[in-house]
Amino acid sequence: MSKSNLSSKKLDRNRIADVLIIGAGPSGSVAAKHLAEAGIDVVCLEQGHMPDANKYSGRRPEWELVSQKQWHPNPNYRDGERDYPINTKESAVHPLMFSGVGGSATLYAGHWTPFMPSDFRVRTLDGVADDWPISYEELTPFLEEIEREVGVSGLGGNPAYPPKMGYPTPALPIGKVGSKAAECLDAMGWHWWPGTNAIPSLPHNGLNACVRRGTCMSGCPEGAKSTTDITHWPHAIKAGARLITGARVRKITTNDAGLATGAVYVDQSGREREQKASIVIICANGIGTPRLLLLSANSRFPEGLANSSGLVGKRLMMHPFSAVQATFNEDLESWRGPFGQNISSYEFYETDKSRGFVRGAKWGIMPAGGPLGATSFVGSKAFTDPDAKVEDMWGTNFHDMVERRFGRSMVWGIIGEDLPEESNQVLLDPTLTDSDGIPAPKLLYKVSENSERMLRFNEERCVEACLAGGAIETNVFHQMPDTGWHLLGTCMMGNDPKKSVVDQWGATHDVPNLYIFDGSTFPTSAGLNPTATIMTLALRQTRRLIEQRQKQEVA
Amino acid sequence: MLSNNLNSNHRVAFAAVADFLIPAYNKYPSASSVGVHTKMLDEVLGHRPDIIPAFLRGLAVIDVGNLSSTINVLYKDDPEGFSAISLAATSGYYMTETVRKVLGYPGQESVVYDAYEVPDFLINQNLENVVRRGPIYRPTPVE
Repeated sequence: MSKSNLSSKKLDRNRIADVLIIGAGPSGSVAAKHLAEAGIDVVCLEQGHMPDANKYSGRRPEWELVSQKQWHPNPNYRDGERDYPINTKESAVHPLMFSGVGGSATLYAGHWTPFMPSDFRVRTLDGVADDWPISYEELTPFLEEIEREVGVSGLGGNPAYPPKMGYPTPALPIGKVGSKAAECLDAMGWHWWPGTNAIPSLPHNGLNACVRRGTCMSGCPEGAKSTTDITHWPHAIKAGARLITGARVRKITTNDAGLATGAVYVDQSGREREQKASIVIICANGIGTPRLLLLSANSRFPEGLANSSGLVGKRLMMHPFSAVQATFNEDLESWRGPFGQNISSYEFYETDKSRGFVRGAKWGIMPAGGPLGATSFVGSKAFTDPDAKVEDMWGTNFHDMVERRFGRSMVWGIIGEDLPEESNQVLLDPTLTDSDGIPAPKLLYKVSENSERMLRFNEERCVEACLAGGAIETNVFHQMPDTGWHLLGTCMMGNDPKKSVVDQWGATHDVPNLYIFDGSTFPTSAGLNPTATIMTLALRQTRRLIEQRQKQEVA
Repeated sequence: MLSNNLNSNHRVAFAAVADFLIPAYNKYPSASSVGVHTKMLDEVLGHRPDIIPAFLRGLAVIDVGNLSSTINVLYKDDPEGFSAISLAATSGYYMTETVRKVLGYPGQESVVYDAYEVPDFLINQNLENVVRRGPIYRPTPVE
């Protein structure tokens, strides 16, 4: 690959980039920064735009109102200009995502929960699914480096993890909500730890310190939640990376030798353009990446690019999720952030087969939000009785309910490990398209019996803990549909080309200069928020690509 | 027509529904007394024009003289219409300074704290108890 010539970095559409990255979310941003800083000529195509923090609604009174539409994490509800529709009629979980620089992390809660040692060895330990071709120990040095770039806040010494380097900023205050949640778990003698969050408590790497505004999941107006538009892109652009926004990629192009040559995309004005590159890295998430590979089918790759295994789009994992709302007879200031996890519990994370399922779940406690949070969670209706009459929930009962819950409630989020099944998959919809006429994805997804049992068990334990801590009311929302934040598994990583799509370095087995660095490569999902592991893996793979660049086969 | 394709009849009907859903009660004012059917309705629909069709559709089946019955029919037969009306009522209500003050909700505010302050859970040793119980992760085989 050529070394960059910074003086020639004006937008020359005919220039062949060393590396083309598709998607400016967490993994694409890590790759762009580190490749550009290594002197490699990088172009990134992002279908959304650079976020404008002034548009985030958290400082305005209509925050809760617009969180249910313009800032809803489900693109089918939000229906934004840069969103693509997803056919979810046959999916029990609805995928959530955001198109823009920083990716879906723009709307995430910043829970920073690296995968644990056992997550990489589920076949060896539990006899299910597949081991990863890499280990926790191999990833840890890269995790510690990424945590510095991200500005993670946390407290070291968590007995749920092996010892590792401390966090770059102190843990955020756990607040009255976190204290009460800890009291519940202490009453049971169960594990808890102050939350680790991708939200710094002190200014760090371009981020401001968190001010506990509590509107993290509709974009942080304080510039304090870690997203890569702040933490990575300024560095990448300074090093010469070119970022083209409003660019919807239609297909990856290949030559007669079966090597990737670049991508065709539709620009903001609806014009079709082509960006040529020596290497292509896809970072478009567990739905966007298989969609693009399937869209890129041609005579040489009739079943889709990099799909000789037949696994592109299969093994979709989205983490079935339950929420437990607990209300207490005391003021918890539960509209205050971070939102964010105040504390987390891994008490039921590891496998205990006597429970009737394998693997486990993480619990994270979050505030309940403003007054509309009494009957909603993250923009969706929740914690109501669907069989009730209007008078049961409204009138004076409504006032009583809001007064009982507002400021006095907390919400446990229970994320259970979703085991891979080939029947859960991403396909191309035969008729649905995005606004540029590009076929949209269609999901087939069912919640497994193992997940069902796992969620029920954890809901019951969670209610027990809340009652032990003095809750006067608990409400369980079992397996919420609008909770597909984590889109994983659809381009599996592995050593055997017949049973996987990419190797441990993200290189596709079929196309030597085509890489995938996002969560679609995860062999298993763990029971944890995946962004930490996605960014860590992307850093490790990027470093390898830089080291091996002289040996890299290119078109 | 005043705005948002709403006429005065719409506003009168919405005020009645809003007060049925959110009446005056103890320290809390009624929905219409804080203007959910006037200024706040314009504000809410300005932020959420997507709900206007369902809002108007729902309002069309409301008989102000027979509120309980028609609202329950709407709730059962047109959940989207009911949702649009109830969202317009509740969001407008809780966006007013009057109601926020009564409820004790300052809005989503910035809070100053000392990131280096030693938290209570370290002082009272509650977290120490968690640590004393030892590691809970499963070690993986050495490779």
